[in-house]
Amino acid sequence: MSAGPAIELQGAGRTFGERVALQPLHLEVARGEVFGLLGPNGSGKTTTLRMLATLLHPTRGKAAVLSWDVVGDAMQVRRNIGVMPEKPSLYERLTIEDNLRFWAEAHELAEPEAAIRSALEFVGLVDRRRERVGQLSKGLKQRVALARAIVHRPPVLLLDEPSSGLDPSAAVAMEGMIRDLVRDGATVLMNTHRLAEAERLCDRVAILREGELLELGTPGQLRARLLGNVIEVEFNGAADLPVQRAVESLPGVAEIKWSRGRLSCRLQDAARDTPDLVARLVHAGAKVVSVRQAGDLERVYLELMARSIRPELEEAA
Amino acid sequence: MSVMTVAPPVRALMRKEWREFRHHRMILATATILPIAFLVLPILNLVFFDIDRAPGGVNLAVGQAMFCFFLTPVIVPATMAAYGVIGERDQGTLEPLLTLPMSDRQFLAGKVLAIVIPTIAMSLGIYVAYMGVVAGAVHSEVRGAALDWTWPFGMVLLAPLLALFSTLTGMTFSARAKDVRVAEHLSGLVLLPGMLPVLLVVTRTIPATVVTWVVFAAAVGLVDLMLWRSAQRGFDRERVISTA
Repeated sequence: MSAGPAIELQGAGRTFGERVALQPLHLEVARGEVFGLLGPNGSGKTTTLRMLATLLHPTRGKAAVLSWDVVGDAMQVRRNIGVMPEKPSLYERLTIEDNLRFWAEAHELAEPEAAIRSALEFVGLVDRRRERVGQLSKGLKQRVALARAIVHRPPVLLLDEPSSGLDPSAAVAMEGMIRDLVRDGATVLMNTHRLAEAERLCDRVAILREGELLELGTPGQLRARLLGNVIEVEFNGAADLPVQRAVESLPGVAEIKWSRGRLSCRLQDAARDTPDLVARLVHAGAKVVSVRQAGDLERVYLELMARSIRPELEEAA
Repeated sequence: MSVMTVAPPVRALMRKEWREFRHHRMILATATILPIAFLVLPILNLVFFDIDRAPGGVNLAVGQAMFCFFLTPVIVPATMAAYGVIGERDQGTLEPLLTLPMSDRQFLAGKVLAIVIPTIAMSLGIYVAYMGVVAGAVHSEVRGAALDWTWPFGMVLLAPLLALFSTLTGMTFSARAKDVRVAEHLSGLVLLPGMLPVLLVVTRTIPATVVTWVVFAAAVGLVDLMLWRSAQRGFDRERVISTA
């Protein structure tokens, strides 16, 4: 196993007959990274995940997990991935531990019982291990599905909407568990419709639409690229003249807007210029409370969808 | 083949299947009620057989009984096999199952063995019980015909092969059909004509000799081999998933 990226798509695409489910996609996910695939239904997210899970062959290009080709080295790929489908997909007639036992035995673990216990401890279900899965709530089933996906300690996790259908507290718990897995060294590729979750969890995201990659980058990069480098600063009190001058003197600053206790402005490069802006404000006597890049991933996503639909609408008109 | 000598993923799948069978009412009912009926009815038929009224009917009565025992390894696995792939798909477990480090061959072997092993045990078990009752509770002439050694010879030889025939047929349709009932019906269309040679023997149209059973066993064995190869060749993960 080489030390290359955890996941690699080299022009991997998929068609079903005439229908293009995924245009050739070039993508690399580094080891230990949390990567999010975003996009509306039918955008190719699940197709990508299924290709990496060896369930679908790419009809174009190549896909690899830990440098193992998903077609030629499918068994190696399967040994190194943990898959959590959108629906929990568990054996409802069996107990929680029997569901995990099957997975542990199929992966030929040397100590299956210890692995089952460890996975159940991780998701907080040790005490309920003898309960039938069919009697559990959706949130608990999702936890069991996560435990099943990690029982063999795979280095790469493929999660299809891990918090789909969960109530807010269960979704937050799921998010925490994913974060813990990444802390332990796992690489995560996840599909999600929850943009706030993606923003909190993902190091980078790709936004797809109708099988095509629209954007790729960190949430911050996407915000800067699509919404501009707009910075919002909150401070105590009103902005007096020295403070206003300090901002106006910053090279490249534009669209300065003042409101009570708040400043909004566009910078040339948010990452480069924000520290300078804050230093000038503090030096001029402003009591800065918070600084943040304006907009969130949801706004980025909606902007991107609107932009990609606009030419179609114009063409139709 | 012992469970201990098969590959670990196959063994894991077999154990999982057995755990599921224990909690599946439909499968449990098919696997218990039918064999009990196929044991009780022939015994009652022979115990209450009036030799004075129908002296020439002994062989026919024994043949009817034997047909039930040959039918058991064909009927019992049909429902279980029909659920083999469709059952997984219906409960949404097929997709994660196919991401396990298990080859197509191992997947099919696990599913098939999980059905065939208990079927053989059950078929031979009820036949042994039948012989035990017949040995002590029927008229001596009926007993002589029922315990003729060519019957157990045929049963031991054919029951495993018939179980395999039924299971492989059911699995083949289960991997292609969209509904369990469709898979069951299609299996039935193949299995029942397949039982015609056995019917000809139990009705004494063809004599029940060692040669007859060996020829039948060779023929069923050949069909099993062809079905196994066809099941392996025809198992397409993408199609199996997309049929849902």
